[in-house]
Amino acid sequence: MSKPRVAIFDFACCEGCQLQIVNLEEEILNVLDVIQPVEWREAMSEQSEEYDIAIVEGSITRAEDEERIKTIRKQAKILIALGACATIGGLNKLKNLFPLDDVKEAVYGKHAHMPHLNTAATKAVDEVVRVDYYVHGCPIDKREFTYILRCLVLGKKPVIPSYPVCVECKKNGNICRFEYNEICLGPITRAGCGAKCPSNGAWCFGCRGLVDDPNVNAAQDVMDTYGKTVDDLKAKIMLFNIQQEQADG
Amino acid sequence: MCNNGKKDIYLPEFATVLKNESMTETENYFELKLSSGKDLGHMPGQFAEISIPGIGEAPISISSSPTKNGSFEMVVRKAGNVTNALHSVEAGKKIGIRGPFGTTFPVDTVMKEKDILFICGGIGLVPLRSAINYCLDNRSDYGNVTILSGTKTPAERLFTDELVQWQNREDVTLLETVDYADDAWKGNVGVITTLIPKINIDPAQTITLICGPPIMYKFVLLELMKHSIDHGKVYVSLERHMKCGVGKCGHCQINGLYACQDGPVFKYADIAQVKEAI
Amino acid sequence: MSVLKIKQETLTAWVSELIKKTCLYAVQAKADKFDFELLEDAHALRLDYDVSNIPPKKYFQPPVEELLRFNEQEFKTTVDDSPFVLFGVHPYDVNAISQMDKLFALGNKDVHYLTRRQNSTIVACDVENASQNVFSGCLGFATADEGFDILLTKINGGYLVDSRTEKGQALLKHLPAAAEKATAADLEERETVWQNNIKLLQKHKLKARPEAVTAALDKAYNNPLWEERAARCFSCGSCNLVCPTCYCFDVQDDVNWDLKSGLRYRCWDGCMLQDFATVAGDHNFRKNKADRYRHRYYRKGKYVPEKIGVFSCVGCGRCISACVTHIANPVEVFNKIMEDV
Repeated sequence: MSKPRVAIFDFACCEGCQLQIVNLEEEILNVLDVIQPVEWREAMSEQSEEYDIAIVEGSITRAEDEERIKTIRKQAKILIALGACATIGGLNKLKNLFPLDDVKEAVYGKHAHMPHLNTAATKAVDEVVRVDYYVHGCPIDKREFTYILRCLVLGKKPVIPSYPVCVECKKNGNICRFEYNEICLGPITRAGCGAKCPSNGAWCFGCRGLVDDPNVNAAQDVMDTYGKTVDDLKAKIMLFNIQQEQADG
Repeated sequence: MCNNGKKDIYLPEFATVLKNESMTETENYFELKLSSGKDLGHMPGQFAEISIPGIGEAPISISSSPTKNGSFEMVVRKAGNVTNALHSVEAGKKIGIRGPFGTTFPVDTVMKEKDILFICGGIGLVPLRSAINYCLDNRSDYGNVTILSGTKTPAERLFTDELVQWQNREDVTLLETVDYADDAWKGNVGVITTLIPKINIDPAQTITLICGPPIMYKFVLLELMKHSIDHGKVYVSLERHMKCGVGKCGHCQINGLYACQDGPVFKYADIAQVKEAI
Repeated sequence: MSVLKIKQETLTAWVSELIKKTCLYAVQAKADKFDFELLEDAHALRLDYDVSNIPPKKYFQPPVEELLRFNEQEFKTTVDDSPFVLFGVHPYDVNAISQMDKLFALGNKDVHYLTRRQNSTIVACDVENASQNVFSGCLGFATADEGFDILLTKINGGYLVDSRTEKGQALLKHLPAAAEKATAADLEERETVWQNNIKLLQKHKLKARPEAVTAALDKAYNNPLWEERAARCFSCGSCNLVCPTCYCFDVQDDVNWDLKSGLRYRCWDGCMLQDFATVAGDHNFRKNKADRYRHRYYRKGKYVPEKIGVFSCVGCGRCISACVTHIANPVEVFNKIMEDV
């Protein structure tokens, strides 16, 4: 079996998810046993337009990015969205809450209107092109990334949980964050991270996106029970899930 | 199979793929042989768990009659990871297998001496074929044999050579239908229930075996009831997610019943009141 | 085997000896709650706990458990037969373990569960402090008469140590000093502890005996409460996962980097999770939340009892505490369906 040619691309992001791949350390040698990287700006100087699998980090925020991702989609047999910016738009979508001109001025000041700084509303990759597989999270989980990679090389559809983070919290024996009077997005957020944040003393921020069928009404009911408001909940959801929050009102 | 002399119910044994042939766009035919050389030891209606190491396990019904020795047959629809992978396993390669599991059609008991009516919807023919061939291999043990078989389109018909053989036998009545015909199709068009009024049923003498997609059972049963067929004379094979196959994991439960142990073959009278069954 | 009486200091010294000799899991503080963990210091043992966050089932059916390994040549069973002691198990959990023993041995014997179980020694402990949601007293599970090797009961001046099995006797060999026998008065005091616990462990009151619940479920299938309560359900499975009598599991494979060898494992699953009853091709046989919600209560109150003859909710109350939308209280559900009969 010849190794699939893999290209890794970045759009609007912090490149932290690619850094997670670099952080595989010795395991990166195992990765190289099963794939052949042909383009990866963060880790190598070569470039190639011939690849089977495109791994895309970052969200789409400019007209020229839309063209670029469409070109990548045409070339790739399999396109993987890597990390929250790519899978759900993530933090970058906070921009969409404000008028674009205000955002530009806040960031670039008097240079805001120079043409190369032009920007549009943030989109997740699948709002522009079809995505075959998602590696969720901010940042991605290394273990899940390597699992997905092995699956794809084997021709297997990776099994990514459709259930909420609570499942993994219970498996880890965590005490529920609601017991600490915190709002935790675990009950509506897709698992697969191993409940990393709750296992390390924080609430779930929702970085893996919502589950397929989130019960947002129930989430609002919970707020009453714990003496919180729906606005408290919305503020938490909006950090990573602007679009879903807006769609659900 | 053993650990300290104790059998592990989750441990597969190897079977060799003797044949892997395409039957339709989504279904492949497999002939398999246990690496131990033994027969699988199944009876019609049972299923086995197929393992592709690294991909996983899937429950697959056994399509050959136990009267066929030395190897067994399955027909597998591409529907998930394991079945997709299975389609690309070349002849000569090995796969894992556990089983056989589950209940059987009562070929050696209540079906004896009776008229047998088989109602097969789509790949429902696959498990029923085991019982059909068992009856035909012991033809004198049974009365009239009638087979009703329906698929969505002519392209989805399975075991077309065997359908011809059955059609040509004087001691078998075979009626086929398709939901949607193509230009070449000269036979019946319509859902499978439209075949039932075309046959003579002696309700006291007939045992009916049904297998098809979930939606089919209710309509077929309604039609059968018009012929005053007793619930105790109807057997259905129900599909659920038999993940462990041994009555533990809980995925295949139909209310309080485990499809993998209490089924997949149920006497309709036993499940008529079970809400999640049909 | 007569019942012994030991002082708290002796108990601590005994446990100190045990943890040198064997792998001992016991209840310890975890933030302001409690959980079973490997005990490294006998002084960290907290027999005064109210309820453990996660039930001790995790030692018999771990959250993620390797079933077998494979390579191109073979499938090979993985069985963990290392011995361990589970120390301080409350009677409701003892009863739950006894149910699991039956279910994993029923029909097809599950060698993975049964091996762990055979190599375990269970030191039970009568409840000293009731948790806020416990209702085992309504179900006959406030005390346990079997399913353990040793039963500890706190009385004035120390603990009664009631060893019932050879495994229990083996642990008693590590008692640091000869223990005195319990007197008739001690045993009477223990009887009082039991009687009191039956009453105290009823923070939620079931209106009738569990048999009445099973009977009421026969007429409750279309009760509107399933829809009403499930409307607030996250399908998060928390009630399943913290339940000492939930044992459903998923099975998955993973491969090593050679893509040929690897392992098959099972992990905790739950019938409340959205895809639990989905088959290949994506047909979901229990796609509505209310159907899944109802299934859970039918399992506890009817399906499993009809299989093994014991009510399958032991009244630990963990689901009540774990459900953030407060819909998981079995007593509320069962009382309502009994009212509506």
